[in-house]
Amino acid sequence: MMTLPANPATVVLQARGLVKRYGHVTALDGADFDLRSAEILAVIGDNGAGKSSLIKALAGAVVPDEGEIFLDGRRVHFRNPLDARRAGIETVYQDLAVAPAMSIAENLFLGRELRREGVAGRVFRVLDKPRMLRETVAHLDELKISVRSMDQPVETLSGGQRQSVAVARSAAFARHVVIMDEPTAALGVKESGMVLQLIRRVREKGLAVVLISHNMPHVFELADRIHVQRLGKRVVVLDPRRISMSDTVAVMTGALRAEELAGEMLA
Amino acid sequence: MKHLPRAAALGPFVALAVACLFFATRTDRFLTGENLSLILQQVMVVGVIAIGQTLIILTAGVDLSCGTVMALGGIVMTKLAAEHGLPVPVAIGAGLAVTTLLGAINGLLVSAIKLPPFIVTLGTLNIAFAVTQLYSQAQTVTDLPASMMSLGGTFRVGGTAVVYGVVVMLVLYGLTWYVLRETASGRHVYAVGNNPEAARLTGIATQRVLLGVYVSAGVLYGIASLLSVARTGVGDPNAGQTENLDAITAVVLGGTSLFGGRGAIFGSLVGTLIVGVFRNGLTLMGVSSVYQILITGILVILAVGTDQFSRRGT
Repeated sequence: MMTLPANPATVVLQARGLVKRYGHVTALDGADFDLRSAEILAVIGDNGAGKSSLIKALAGAVVPDEGEIFLDGRRVHFRNPLDARRAGIETVYQDLAVAPAMSIAENLFLGRELRREGVAGRVFRVLDKPRMLRETVAHLDELKISVRSMDQPVETLSGGQRQSVAVARSAAFARHVVIMDEPTAALGVKESGMVLQLIRRVREKGLAVVLISHNMPHVFELADRIHVQRLGKRVVVLDPRRISMSDTVAVMTGALRAEELAGEMLA
Repeated sequence: MKHLPRAAALGPFVALAVACLFFATRTDRFLTGENLSLILQQVMVVGVIAIGQTLIILTAGVDLSCGTVMALGGIVMTKLAAEHGLPVPVAIGAGLAVTTLLGAINGLLVSAIKLPPFIVTLGTLNIAFAVTQLYSQAQTVTDLPASMMSLGGTFRVGGTAVVYGVVVMLVLYGLTWYVLRETASGRHVYAVGNNPEAARLTGIATQRVLLGVYVSAGVLYGIASLLSVARTGVGDPNAGQTENLDAITAVVLGGTSLFGGRGAIFGSLVGTLIVGVFRNGLTLMGVSSVYQILITGILVILAVGTDQFSRRGT
């Protein structure tokens, strides 16, 4: 099967020449980025390769010094994570950003609570709790996440279930892209498997997923394409079906140069 | 594990029941309608202050200035009405404005400038105290217009006289309960206290939530000023000194965590009653007020210790 060249129509999120400097340190040195619709794109790179700066720029958490970001072909300027969220890009942070003492339903709608109609909702901000509960059940069902009760505090859940709630929240509100930062880092084997399944279901919903991970087996299990970040730049995008894990790691660490790779390994 | 929080929520009620039982066996005068009504009347001021204190502690803050801000509000109200001859509603409005302003100053320093609430309110505690003394020249304000004390009037329930101010306190508790439970603003107070970073990332205007909480507390302290004036019939520049620690004690005894994000408003009402029952019962037993202060001090440390201990590891 031939890998098609990046067709502009299917690219959801794109970045060109991103630069981000912190004092004397250049975290991003003209980085490019392309994410296609309904794909899982893994972003890998050594520590200091600039992958977290890249992801933060795409999620609105940092503002790049130079470069351009396009969403659905249109230039966007994110000043903060809220801007990115409003544009339909949701991020699952590594520490999950949940309120542990609050319930699953409350966490799902945190900051975007559904309110009652009329004056009660508009002026007094009275919540529509039954609807939030119903929609939470629907969102979790859609992703086949099982929990005992939507009323239970998130802190009573296992690590994998907490991760699932955080992913469900992003998937429920994202219109274009879900960015996941190390979603399996703190999990055991069984729970990791559950979360990997969940990430696939998010793709099946038609959302594009950016997966940041250090876990090569997980990357190879899930990713449609692998973006390799090195020294502040994208060095290559690989096809995980046509390249070995060890070669991928070699490219990531600089032991193998991207130009030395066979053309079919590129995606 | 699942039922632990529910059991912990019952703790304050159990403590209150035990305290009542203890004093009932010590003195015949404790368990009379008249005395219970007196306890309610004695706690209405600290009870209203404790509502504001609860809101602030839910955001992982604390307000050490609550009692002295209340005293300043009382002095402003009474002086304007009794000595400057302003109409009572205007004088009350001015007192409320002053306590709200102090709440706003606390709130701005905590939210916009990001100073620690402990230090900020320690500062405003001293400022409010000094301004109260300077403005009143350390003199009690007397000869108040009768209408200023109307909330100190009573109505009869069965054979017992109940003060209107107690009803005000209960209504404020009910209102706060509803807001905290059923509105987006109320849930945001919990979220900001539970995980401020998560609250910010989900798009909650955390600074505005904090400012709102401190301003609301200021309004509540102003209402407490009015209740204090109605109860004592004077403007007392030295009011609020026991209320300062009592309000924090009541909130913590009521099960609200000093780490923020956990707690229930009715717990604070129960905590207020525990403090009130102790003060009243010890007085009936003839224990001197110094010992009451000693016991309140021990109570607050016990409550904070329980909070610390039960949250460890979660």
